[in-house]
Amino acid sequence: MGSIVDEGLSGENNVEILAKFPCEKSLEEQLQVMELYTEKHKETKGMPKGKREIACMRVLFPRMFRKRQKEDLFVGRYDALPIGFGAVTSLGGVGHYCVFGKLSTFQQQLEKEEDKQRVNALIEYWNDHDLKAKHARKYNDKIVNKVFSKNSLDAPIESSARLSGMMLDYNKLVEKGVKGLRQETLSRMCDDKDNEFYLAVLDALDLFSDCCDYLAKQVEDEITYADKDQIEDLKVIVESLHVIREEPPKTFHQAIQIVWLYAILAGIINYGRLDDVVGTFLKHDLDTGYITYDKAKEYVKCLWTMIENKRTTVNGRVIVGGRGRKDPEAADIFTRIALEVCHECRYVEPQFTLRIYEDTPEDIFDKAMQCLADGATYPTLYNDKVHVPGLAHCMKVSEREAEQYAPFGCGEMNIVGKTVGTPNATINLTKTLNIFMNGGIDPYDNVYKGDGVHLKSLEDISSYQEFYNEYLVLVDHYLDILAYSQAKSYESMNNDVDFVFNSILMDNCLASGKPLLGGGVTYLGGCCETFGNTNTADALTAIKKLVFEEKKYTLTEINKALLADFEGYEMMRKDMLECPKYGNDDDYADKVYLELYDHVSRYTREAGIRNGLHHYGIVIINNQQNTDWGLLTSASADGRKNTVYLNPSNNPQGGADKNGPTAVLKSISKLDSRFHLGSVQNIKFQSDFFKDNMEKIKTMIKTYFNQLGGCQLMVTVVDAGALEDAMVHPEKYPDMIVRVSGFSAVFVNLSKEVQMELLSRTLNARV
Amino acid sequence: MNAYIMEVEKFAIHDGPGIRSVVFLQGCPLRCPWCANPESQEIKSQLMYKEKTCIKCGKCVVNCPQKAISIVDGKLQFDREKCIKCETCAINCPVSAIHFIGKSVEIEEIMQEVLKDKPFYIESQGGVTISGGEPFVQFAVLKELLVRLKEEGISTAVETTGDTDWEKIEECLPYIDLFLFDVKHSQASEIKRVTKGNGERILYNLKKLASVAANKIIIRTPVIPEFNYDSKTIKEIIDLGAKYQVSEVHLLPYHTLGTSKYEQLDREYTLQGIKMLSKDDLKDFVEYGKSLGVNIQAGG
Repeated sequence: MGSIVDEGLSGENNVEILAKFPCEKSLEEQLQVMELYTEKHKETKGMPKGKREIACMRVLFPRMFRKRQKEDLFVGRYDALPIGFGAVTSLGGVGHYCVFGKLSTFQQQLEKEEDKQRVNALIEYWNDHDLKAKHARKYNDKIVNKVFSKNSLDAPIESSARLSGMMLDYNKLVEKGVKGLRQETLSRMCDDKDNEFYLAVLDALDLFSDCCDYLAKQVEDEITYADKDQIEDLKVIVESLHVIREEPPKTFHQAIQIVWLYAILAGIINYGRLDDVVGTFLKHDLDTGYITYDKAKEYVKCLWTMIENKRTTVNGRVIVGGRGRKDPEAADIFTRIALEVCHECRYVEPQFTLRIYEDTPEDIFDKAMQCLADGATYPTLYNDKVHVPGLAHCMKVSEREAEQYAPFGCGEMNIVGKTVGTPNATINLTKTLNIFMNGGIDPYDNVYKGDGVHLKSLEDISSYQEFYNEYLVLVDHYLDILAYSQAKSYESMNNDVDFVFNSILMDNCLASGKPLLGGGVTYLGGCCETFGNTNTADALTAIKKLVFEEKKYTLTEINKALLADFEGYEMMRKDMLECPKYGNDDDYADKVYLELYDHVSRYTREAGIRNGLHHYGIVIINNQQNTDWGLLTSASADGRKNTVYLNPSNNPQGGADKNGPTAVLKSISKLDSRFHLGSVQNIKFQSDFFKDNMEKIKTMIKTYFNQLGGCQLMVTVVDAGALEDAMVHPEKYPDMIVRVSGFSAVFVNLSKEVQMELLSRTLNARV
Repeated sequence: MNAYIMEVEKFAIHDGPGIRSVVFLQGCPLRCPWCANPESQEIKSQLMYKEKTCIKCGKCVVNCPQKAISIVDGKLQFDREKCIKCETCAINCPVSAIHFIGKSVEIEEIMQEVLKDKPFYIESQGGVTISGGEPFVQFAVLKELLVRLKEEGISTAVETTGDTDWEKIEECLPYIDLFLFDVKHSQASEIKRVTKGNGERILYNLKKLASVAANKIIIRTPVIPEFNYDSKTIKEIIDLGAKYQVSEVHLLPYHTLGTSKYEQLDREYTLQGIKMLSKDDLKDFVEYGKSLGVNIQAGG
């Protein structure tokens, strides 16, 4: 295989928990399509980028659609190739992309040497033309800020260029249809005839119609040999495609089909407030008897399956409930069906999300609890009462606009149709603390990562405030780099592409005649993922208490112990572990956490705005990066050992919360929600306990939302098997709550003996 | 005023309605062999030792100013007579195998802790339960806590063995919303024989309390094999509940989850070999209670 600009561009570090379906086309055809795409990309050089984009997409669409699967009630499954066009790393790639790692795997499958050479030719071309590669070449400093690098997590910060953060205005799509969108474009063109973006929009809409025709033809062919009992369903699909190729949808089926197909063409993997988009159609179809409730449920189930099969892992958001929907009653019908489907399917995706607000019907809340009780892990709960005003402030928008918030991916916030807010920046606050304590050298690998920032040595520091302020000097320096990188990521993308399909459904692209990232989107924002928040705060707490208040150790001694991974410093580690910890409703520890949060969130916001973004904020979210990054982070003063996972999202470090779930909820709800763009909280229960005490747990959650100002909660209920697993892998279950006898406790905090007892009891109960 | 407590337990959901915090006071006149909190019986700080956690490093042996700890045949031995509760051993134990339970704290400190969860009490119609031990043993503390809780508008429950002076119960009555009243046996003599408690007084107090505040009583009966787990006894207790028209009767199946504490305290658990009961084992009694119109359940 030819050389790759940076091994990180292989795409190997894209999170992909479940493998995607293998491509349906033969290897030869895949290679041909990639060559055709590459040819088209060469040919169209110099063409306006929007038109070029659609021209290139025409190589992929409709050709790369998969065949309808037998049980599918909608069409539009799609195979992304290692070379092509897209918006996100989870589905193909970003812009005109080449995922070198996948291409290499593809190459290995080829038998003929001449075919392998054909791939080499592609690699050579895309080395210079892949959007991510071009961006990385400019901004990857390879030490402090790693950009698309295979070992990016050695660095304290990491940045990228992706377009995942956005929710399209599907309401506009179903209201106007292709025809309406075309009319709008044409009418706007009267004043701006030569606008290349508009011309690209028209091309895109034509491509959409062509895809409908292609798929309709496929299904029509299928009807001739289909099973009898399938024919009706197939006819419905054909009819829907005939309608939506031009007209706005009129039925529930058509509405889902147009959203699905459009999302595929836009390379979109999150589906916004779907209840608001399709609810009206659903209600109409049910009221008129056009479809039955069971049929509607079949449709939703099929949609769920198709989203799952897309395997975008940390995406696939479907949001229901909440303020600002046009017809809440209709939308709630969809919500109820979706909850039933969620209960039955137990898929990893969609990430089904329920927004709770003043008027959430009690039965919907109950249904949600039932889903959770039975281990569905969804819906994830969001609180409008907190998020609407919080986001209005953080995003500098009106509350009315903020009502249209929608978390995507791991929980980063956007406003439907109005914001782009991709997390193209991440920081490891714990690693940063360790780097600061060692004069810029990262104890993990002994590499200097101080980036020339002058840092006081530990011996010269005489108060906690001084220590903390010095640490923040480095944090701020890193945050500045990240805010700059975030702004530049949009620039890199906009230099290459228009993201025409995305632009069409985002305000004010059509109105202004500008593509999404070229001044089109109303609010160009972004967010920075902060990791190790709790570890860092707990480490600061321990230093504050042990060094500056109790004067039990010096800073230098603490640092020595950390460098030794506590070998020979066991007592010091014990002292650290016994210091107050975040997550226990302990004012001392929580105050340190909040100070850190306040600084990091506010500074991030300022830095983003200073770099030209409309808004910018931190997100404290959940994925596996807390684990991965922890493995590359040396021991920290909270008592965490070398290369141990970092705390998940806005949660206490595993095992540190010893005061029960109410105390955890109290602590985690103390964040000022006006300064983050999403904060995720997890809470786990053992299933019998949850079921036996559902009413009380429900009340606890309601208290958290209504009284404490909790913004979000992710509830997991695990079965007895998980208890056994937790004894072997306690790190996987830091927050699983079980009933002991007169009380409940975090399972992994209990002594082995009690764990065994509980286990035997639960196992008995299972027999 | 200072209280001797074991701990404050948050999110207690089986010691009264709603979401509650439980304050465990030390001191108990009874010595029930099945007691799940043996460290609550006496008012004092007690050393608890987890043998399986211990790495036998010997730090505690070296550091103990009383020379009360020794290693015999590879096992740690504590001379609990000599121990002065200085906690040097616990402080120096690298793996936290030793800790001391039972401490003296200001009532105000307890109040601050329980007030933290007030939003949960309000929303769930829960509150604070004072348990033990036997809370009436530290009577002044109990009353002060109850008064303070009431001042804060918090609902209160007291979990009691009933083995106290009636006057004390009467004095606290206005500040108690709910009694979780342990009735361990229907016969005073059996209570006396097995728990060492004053069975006559317990049953008298129950009757007396029922005559003035039956609706504030939940009878709680730990169902223990070889003691009261027979049809006659349990039914007699349920009959009492029916006769006094108490608000509820809870039958608590015997469990052995406290046994490791006996080991940690270096005390013998005398009910070795008796199997735990399940809620299912008690379903006939529940049926019986229901037939009498008693609001009854198995489990707390």
